[in-house]
Amino acid sequence: MSFVEHTVTADGFDIRYVAAGDGPPLVCLHGAGGLRLSRAHELLARTHRVIAFEAPGFGESPANERSASLRELAATMLAGVDALGVGDTFDLCGTSFGAKLALWLAIDAPDRLGALVLASPAAIRLPGTRPPEDPAEMMAILYQHPERVPPSAPPSPEVVAKQLTLVERLIGPARDEELETAMRTLTVPTLVMFGTEDRLTPPELGRHYPELLPHAHLVLIYDAAHALDVDRPEAFAALVADFLEQRGQFVVRRTSGLLYP
Amino acid sequence: MRAALFSIVPYERPSRPRGWPVPADDYSAEVAQASMERALDSFAVADQLGFDWISVAEHHYAPGSLTPNPMVMAAAAIQRVKRAKIALLGSNIPIQNPVRVAEEFAMLDTLSGGRVIAGMLRGTSNEYVTYGVNPAESRERFIEALRLIVAAWTEPQPFGWMGRYYDYRTISIWPRPVQTPHPEIFMSISSPEMAEFAAAHRISAGLAVTTVPRARESVEVYRAAARQHGWDPPPEQVLYRAAVHVAGSDAEAWADCAPFATPDRPVGALSMANPAIDEAVAGAGYYGRDTAQQRERIMAAGDLRERIDTGQILAGSPDTVLQQASAIRRELGAGVLELAFIGPTPDKRRRSLELFGTQVLPRMREL
Repeated sequence: MSFVEHTVTADGFDIRYVAAGDGPPLVCLHGAGGLRLSRAHELLARTHRVIAFEAPGFGESPANERSASLRELAATMLAGVDALGVGDTFDLCGTSFGAKLALWLAIDAPDRLGALVLASPAAIRLPGTRPPEDPAEMMAILYQHPERVPPSAPPSPEVVAKQLTLVERLIGPARDEELETAMRTLTVPTLVMFGTEDRLTPPELGRHYPELLPHAHLVLIYDAAHALDVDRPEAFAALVADFLEQRGQFVVRRTSGLLYP
Repeated sequence: MRAALFSIVPYERPSRPRGWPVPADDYSAEVAQASMERALDSFAVADQLGFDWISVAEHHYAPGSLTPNPMVMAAAAIQRVKRAKIALLGSNIPIQNPVRVAEEFAMLDTLSGGRVIAGMLRGTSNEYVTYGVNPAESRERFIEALRLIVAAWTEPQPFGWMGRYYDYRTISIWPRPVQTPHPEIFMSISSPEMAEFAAAHRISAGLAVTTVPRARESVEVYRAAARQHGWDPPPEQVLYRAAVHVAGSDAEAWADCAPFATPDRPVGALSMANPAIDEAVAGAGYYGRDTAQQRERIMAAGDLRERIDTGQILAGSPDTVLQQASAIRRELGAGVLELAFIGPTPDKRRRSLELFGTQVLPRMREL
């Protein structure tokens, strides 16, 4: 499954996205490091039309000084989804910074989502947590299994600096009262995943989500650090696909235990 | 130094070695009932004598041990042991459902008012045949199961677990452990891989089915790895298991022990009960990066003198056994001595237990 790159114009931005697959649409919002595809995206594209957006201000796009808040950027992303004409409802998966963005989108357009997936969400953070600036330390924070990282050229220092400025301007406080109050009203079925080895958003933060989101299911991804989809792509894709198909009923096993008929 | 009374709860009728698994064609329910009752009674006596722990273990398909589920035996022991801690060394977690193990430990911790020691082991090679688990995956299953059990004990909200070997969509165990954050975990550090893992996770160390010289090598790996992770294991986090027999004099004790120390009885008798199985399990990579040394460890034998000299057996008068315990404390920095009482008759074993409890144990406290 190969992803094809496109651009869509929405809300006054030219927004880059990559897409692959047929089936129900799954919109993906990346983390603070920008758009990056993993084997998990390829696996999900077997059952879904995976659309991974690059938010304005990330990658090679111009610096984004216009989005005044994460909530506003979420409205831009929804406009991008609508410009693609994916239909009345779609599933949404946000990673880390992108998970907080996805939460705002869900809060402001609750009827548009079939299901919500939050991977290593950075909507609630430990006070004072910042991604490390040293690239080697960043690798260690992101990946429990660096040997599984697909080879790619690292972003230029200018891109890194531009993205960091935007993230720091938009991310909001470690505990965001406005967001958390709004989260309590969400009824969309939500899958929340944390890596057992994650030191940036440690798995102990996971327990806040079922407290705030009445329809959340917390799942720990064993032996994964912050980049769950890179460390455990098969587990990530299998779990997400199962959740998107079954919603909250994904707790009921459908695979057969029959050995020999 | 602390003392634990360990009972594998043997089926107390002499029998010739019959390999593994052992047929039950001459099984006697009466013998089994009496054996369990005697073990429970010895736990109660040990509790009254001031032993710090009583401990049980998991083994399958042989009269050597009647506790395939040590959780059940521990629950029975809790009814009679009012003060000592109840140790399970262990649950063989790679062959079990880890959520069930977490639930059972939490039940035992609740029943005992927070007195459970949660040993987690990989078991002897033959255990992998019992429930059809591939021994090549034993170590990875062990590590994942341990992490999952701790999460099941401590996560306050229902959670799923997407592992390599375990996939649970929602877990929220009741009851919860009494001890916070959870019962103390002991695991075997006989292999260097596991010594390093235990040190990295600050898990207490158990040394069994070994000798003091080999255990010293394992402890050195454990302590060196612990230092790298910024801590120094205190004595109470290092346990050494040995056989023991105390009598009025050294000569009497040694004469009593002779039948237990014939050169054809390796310390890892259970692992070696079916050499073809052990060979196949070893071939699957069960023993890890130093397979040869690990298999030498379980095959350690020797005559009584050698076994006493290498700390496999403590035997003699109370004074002599105290000196032997003192050597283990000194050589290994071990703060817990876990003892399986051997002896030719139930009466001799009871006498030995009482001698140990009244004449050795009080003086062990100062070691």
